[in-house]
Amino acid sequence: MANQKLAMVIDAPTCLDCKGCLAACKVANNVPDGKWRNWIKGADPERRASSPVVFQPGNCMQCDKPTCVEACPTGATYKNQADGTVVINRTLCIGCGQCLAACPYGARFKNTDLGVADKCDFCAERRKFGLEPACVSTCPTKSRKFGDLNDANSEVAKLLKANRAVRVANEQTRTDPNIYYLGEPGPTNWTVQARMPEAFDFWRRLADPVVKAVVGLSGLGVLAMLGKQLAMPKDAPPADGGAHEEAGHE
Amino acid sequence: MNKRMILRHTKGGIFIHWFNAACWFILLFTGLGLIQNPQLQPLGQWYPNALRAVFGGGGLLIIHLAVAVTWLLVWLVFIIANWSSHVVPFLAQVFTLKPGRDMEWMIKKNLQMTLGYKAMAFFMKPLGLGAKIPDQEYYNAGQKVAAQVMLLGALVLAVTGAIMLRGKYFMTAPLADIAWVQWAITIHYIAAGVTFGILLVHIFMAAIAKEERPAFWSMFSGEVPEEYARHHHKLWYDEVAIKTSDQ
Amino acid sequence: MTSSLDQKISRRGFFKLTGAATAAAALGGSDSALKPGAAQAGTRLKPGFESKYTVCDMCFNKCSAIARVVDGKVQKLDPNPKFLKSRGMLCAKGNAGVRQQYDPDRLKYPLLRVGARGEGKWKRLGWDEALDLAAEKMKAIGEKYTRCGFMFMAGADMQSTFIHRFAKAYGSYNTLSHESQCLIAGTRAFLDTFGEVPIPDMLYAKYCLMMGANRFEALVTPDSIDMMTAMKQGMKLVVMDPRYTKTAAKAHEYYPIKPHSDMAVMLAIAHVLIKEGLYDREFVAEKTYGLEQLAKHVEPYTPEWAATESEVPAEVIVKIARELGAAKPAAMIYPGRRSSNYRDSTQVRRAFAIVNALLGNWDRPGGLTAARMVGLGGGVPLEEPFYENNPADRVDAGRATLMFPEEGSFKLARDAVLEANPYPVKGFFCYHSNPMQTVANRAKTARMFDQMEFVMVMDVAMSDTAWMADLVLPSQYYLERLDPCSAQQGSSACACVVMRDPVVKPMFEAKPVFWVMRQLANRLELGEHFNFSVEEFRNAQLKDLPGALEALQKDGVYYNPSKLYGVYEGRIYKTKSQKIELFNQRYADMGLDPMPVYRKPAQPEADQFRLVVGRNAVVTQSSSTSNSLLMEFQPTNHLWINPAAAKGLGIEDGDWVKVASPAGKQWIQAKVTDMTRPDTVYMETGFGVLSPQLAAHGRGACIAQVLVDDFDQISGNMAMHETFVTVSKEAA
Repeated sequence: MANQKLAMVIDAPTCLDCKGCLAACKVANNVPDGKWRNWIKGADPERRASSPVVFQPGNCMQCDKPTCVEACPTGATYKNQADGTVVINRTLCIGCGQCLAACPYGARFKNTDLGVADKCDFCAERRKFGLEPACVSTCPTKSRKFGDLNDANSEVAKLLKANRAVRVANEQTRTDPNIYYLGEPGPTNWTVQARMPEAFDFWRRLADPVVKAVVGLSGLGVLAMLGKQLAMPKDAPPADGGAHEEAGHE
Repeated sequence: MNKRMILRHTKGGIFIHWFNAACWFILLFTGLGLIQNPQLQPLGQWYPNALRAVFGGGGLLIIHLAVAVTWLLVWLVFIIANWSSHVVPFLAQVFTLKPGRDMEWMIKKNLQMTLGYKAMAFFMKPLGLGAKIPDQEYYNAGQKVAAQVMLLGALVLAVTGAIMLRGKYFMTAPLADIAWVQWAITIHYIAAGVTFGILLVHIFMAAIAKEERPAFWSMFSGEVPEEYARHHHKLWYDEVAIKTSDQ
Repeated sequence: MTSSLDQKISRRGFFKLTGAATAAAALGGSDSALKPGAAQAGTRLKPGFESKYTVCDMCFNKCSAIARVVDGKVQKLDPNPKFLKSRGMLCAKGNAGVRQQYDPDRLKYPLLRVGARGEGKWKRLGWDEALDLAAEKMKAIGEKYTRCGFMFMAGADMQSTFIHRFAKAYGSYNTLSHESQCLIAGTRAFLDTFGEVPIPDMLYAKYCLMMGANRFEALVTPDSIDMMTAMKQGMKLVVMDPRYTKTAAKAHEYYPIKPHSDMAVMLAIAHVLIKEGLYDREFVAEKTYGLEQLAKHVEPYTPEWAATESEVPAEVIVKIARELGAAKPAAMIYPGRRSSNYRDSTQVRRAFAIVNALLGNWDRPGGLTAARMVGLGGGVPLEEPFYENNPADRVDAGRATLMFPEEGSFKLARDAVLEANPYPVKGFFCYHSNPMQTVANRAKTARMFDQMEFVMVMDVAMSDTAWMADLVLPSQYYLERLDPCSAQQGSSACACVVMRDPVVKPMFEAKPVFWVMRQLANRLELGEHFNFSVEEFRNAQLKDLPGALEALQKDGVYYNPSKLYGVYEGRIYKTKSQKIELFNQRYADMGLDPMPVYRKPAQPEADQFRLVVGRNAVVTQSSSTSNSLLMEFQPTNHLWINPAAAKGLGIEDGDWVKVASPAGKQWIQAKVTDMTRPDTVYMETGFGVLSPQLAAHGRGACIAQVLVDDFDQISGNMAMHETFVTVSKEAA
């Protein structure tokens, strides 16, 4: 089967900020109190005289160049080649939170119930049973469309073909997101620059070479000793017995 | 050849040594497999991939955590139970430094082990030092340094490991607190690396170096030949010999 | 009484109540099976999970939904894509239904009050004991005060029909619904214009002027959704509201209209439509009655005049009228739903209806359409017994000119009960409704309960009303129930039938209200009127709809397509003139204004504000504010106050303020925002809860405590927005 490229195409101007997608997601994915896998940006608008306000629904953008994957030490977070989603293997996640800061969208949070990083996975569990992502199926105005961009007949592929669409990105961190906004996307100033934690950088730049040097030197020493042992099997102290004499002084 | 044997290790000591060795072997093996980030994995991706193919990703982490916790608990029990009989004497031996003698031993022994006695003597001559390797106590200078590094390494690994464990299961604070966990990971890696570096030498010395072979066997039997003791740990031998003759 | 209730909900009062709360909590017990969903780690669905149709009960909309059930537990509620009226959606509240089902605060068994009323001291009863007691009280009160001495109230529930049935069998005319808190003024107005209550055909509208409604927050299916679809198809939305709602935010144009001036704007629009000849001449000539009178009537109501009343600029009113005229007949003044606002709300909505009639949008695409009947039967017929000694009419009869006898007026019935005029009412049964939270002037409601000899409340949780009861009965939650069918109307969404089968086993000792009614009927020798099961009742409802039961089981919904437009071709209108009445002859006969007359409304004094209330998409009045999921969206309510007004009072965002009216006072945190007018303050419904057995207890302020209980003179609808309050920065 050909690989999928799962994506969302969101018609932000039709979003009412009704919170249906947030509630549906929370229930479908057992998201702990106070945490959310998805969001609506631009809610609670400042008063404006005219021009409709655009609320912007969103969630993990399942990026093609995911900075979160780059920041994960254990490979618990990875790009699923089969469907294009960025997923978290909870059994491998050590809960270090490096991926949290590495996401320019703040899409990740620490699931304190499970001790692991958590985020939207386009409802992998529901998809397994043939159900749409909870936010998509529940949305009153169907602002959120979901499907496979590699399938030219999918609604999302057709929408992208027929319409101008934009992606929300951070200028400093280009991640090739897979959420597209049709027409006016609403607020775009909320992204942050992806940040690799200092500890991660230190590891990558300094700790790793140092450790390699230490182990390398040690290995070299051992090799040298082994070489000598093989080359000089009969190496022995000079027969002056000096060691014992000296010991005798004490 | 005099085959009289001298007691060097108690049964408890032997147990904790091999227990520790086994744990460290598994921890190193699995821990290294937990790193699956091309920027960080020192061996290349084949290693974590191969390991995950066998144990599964989650299995790897579970084994690592289970062994780590067991290791820590057994050590804690051992330390408490053997505080005065083993731990204090061990620490005393390991941290009693004789800088001049230890330094001299280190240089001479390193040269001897890598280049042979003759070369060592050759290099020592201009320095006005004889070819004789200084006599050593229960632990030689190399063993002391190794023990110090491993002790410190173990401590750092345990503490950083505990922080990471706490980070996974108990931490509720957001990013600020997470920085602790992140540094713990990096330091864990450094500590493991340095400890492993020392361990390489330790393993070579014990298992491969011909002249230390009796020491290796003593880690099973608990005893070393008198001749070995006299030759390698003269100061200790003398002490033991005196004690023995006293009896 | 007023002051004691005031105290209870102030922060100081909250601490006073802690003792009672502890006692109540201990009595309520705890059950590990009731951990809210979020506490469960891991996954929701398992292979072999079941999907069962149900009908959401988180608000009145009754959306068909699909429950995903694993091991006898509901894991998730999804929308039913075949349910056209909701356009296949489930809102935040609908999704939160799972939390309500497993809410640890659910009532678990019958409770009898043992302390003072409202003190919160309860004794657990067995069902038999509880029902014996209730039957005994009903018998005694019926004998002593006549059967009308017992009053019944039922909320918008699929089993409420059984309470009405019971009341009839028992012999009381005094039944109340939620509707007199909500929509009867608007219902009255459109009924008295078109002869029936129309359904807006929002989906195909090209232009919509929305006043007195907040359809993007107070969700009504399918209007809320269709409005967005229509906008996408090019419909223009203009919103006038004293508050910048989300509907205002999404509108093409928004005007912060002065409260209680909607009629002025509407009359001025009529003025322009007629003066400029923009109304549908052919339609008006053929189908309406009273254009001449109306033309004369609106002559003085110029846009310039309306601008001074409403603060909506005259040129805007003219522009809107012209745009409406250009877009007609697919142009509408949205009829709205809740119209419990002013003393003349029926007349205000009459003005809406009249402008719609001028636009000729009746029975046409994008306009107001006739209700479509699905043909659901009334179930098992009732042979109403006759009780000779009963009084002639309802207790609130005659207190408003044109009340709906089935719905009554809570406000006027309460007044009548308190005055014991024309006769005493000493018993009260309330099901699935919470007047202590929702009805203006809480102190009066409490007084009404105080003078009752027996108050019985059945609900899923210890609501504020249950808290005031003598006997509290635990109701099954909707996911546990077998309910009768319910017919729904809906413009292009097609009329349909939905029904509820149990999705999970009932928890604790919770029972359906049908069972309670039947048990009481048996004890009161009225068993013959409840000699059927809900299933049999349902079959009787469906007997003229062949294939409906199968469709309901297969799709969760049954439709029978019918004509949507042109229904009234060759048909008469159910009014006196048999036409659409711009001029209402019946009103004229009764001495009411036959056309809406604008009388300068009272305005708040310099140190006062008008208090308006409302809700949003995550609040269904008091029934949803203790939901653990919805609470995350809205943990409390705030008093919205304009920055200019706040500055004058030294109030900063987040400050605790006292809101006081002649009805009562409350303490609440201020939200200083320019999203409300300087003369208007706003708060959401459903907070300031008295009952310590609800999670919302101790959060925010209660609208019922400060709202003044005025009423619409024609329909008897509550008039909540006639409330003027003072706001002061003052600690409780």
